[in-house]
Amino acid sequence: MTDDEPSLNIPSLLTLAVVSYFVLRWFLNRDDNSAAGGRGRGRGNVVDPASVAQIAQMFPQMNTRDIMWDLQRNGGSVPATTERILTGRGLETPPPSFQPQVPIAPTTIPVAQTASAASVSKADGQDLISRYNLSAKASSPSTEDEPETPSKTAWSQNKDERQRLLQKRRDDMILAARRKMMQKDQGNTQ
Amino acid sequence: MVSTVAQKRLFHEYKNLSTNPPEGITAGPVSEDDMFYWEALIQGPEETPFEGGVFAAELKFPRDYPLSPPTMKFIGGGIWHPNVYPNGTVCISILHPPGDDPNHYEHASERWSPIQSVEKILISVMSMLAEPNDESPANVEAAKMWRERRPEYEAKVRDEVKKGLGL
Repeated sequence: MTDDEPSLNIPSLLTLAVVSYFVLRWFLNRDDNSAAGGRGRGRGNVVDPASVAQIAQMFPQMNTRDIMWDLQRNGGSVPATTERILTGRGLETPPPSFQPQVPIAPTTIPVAQTASAASVSKADGQDLISRYNLSAKASSPSTEDEPETPSKTAWSQNKDERQRLLQKRRDDMILAARRKMMQKDQGNTQ
Repeated sequence: MVSTVAQKRLFHEYKNLSTNPPEGITAGPVSEDDMFYWEALIQGPEETPFEGGVFAAELKFPRDYPLSPPTMKFIGGGIWHPNVYPNGTVCISILHPPGDDPNHYEHASERWSPIQSVEKILISVMSMLAEPNDESPANVEAAKMWRERRPEYEAKVRDEVKKGLGL
């Protein structure tokens, strides 16, 4: 029967289109996920609770579920999520189907360095003049007319130049303070 | 990958501090080959015994900066102050990570978070010099002296200031 053919064909074509759309989407999603999860956090809703807690502590205003969603999508990278929040892009709201498996454990991040520095490693009793090799400049006749204000903006596209500018600002700051202190001392003794 | 985020951020902060430095502060990496190690100079705040002084400190940044805060330590003689350990390490709330509050007296907002910066740390340290926090003495001796024998404390600080400048 030739009349029946079109009526059978259109729905089946539609079904095929819909099915292949979902298959393709599943395929592409899977690729995305496995590429992002390259850091060893596999697929599925596995997010390190410590990472979630870390971000939640930094940004208490953020929804934990949003944090988990973002972490899961970027492969569990705390810096990436932080960066995203800081740049003001905000976090996406996860789809309702997103069911994080991890309970939000109130983990406090173990922080190693709680002022462990109390260990007495004697501070080197070195003054700034000898530290920065400024004795030559310091002992040279104090150029009174030298402007006390340091060079204004110190930035250059050149790395070495930048380094030099920073060093100069540092030296100027120390020498200016030293000159001032000496003047003050002289004023006191007179 | 983590360290590139940190390096980029540190470079950016370095640039801001150089082009628009806060009053009395100079800071930057000792060498740009290692962005995780900085040195800073801070001027002693006026109308305090630290006035006229310049203090050098090293800043060591963790690889996951700005998630974790740097550590800060005064070098070249250290500093006589209730909130500075005898070895020069600075103890101030902004240098403490948010989760780390063994004593429960610091508000989360005062502590480290990625929205803080090197500049904010250095400014906080400057105001710490002017106003010691008596609640958490890192240098018990200095804290005691500050509390009980203020003139002696101030004289000692002035003396250290001069020594630091090689005078």
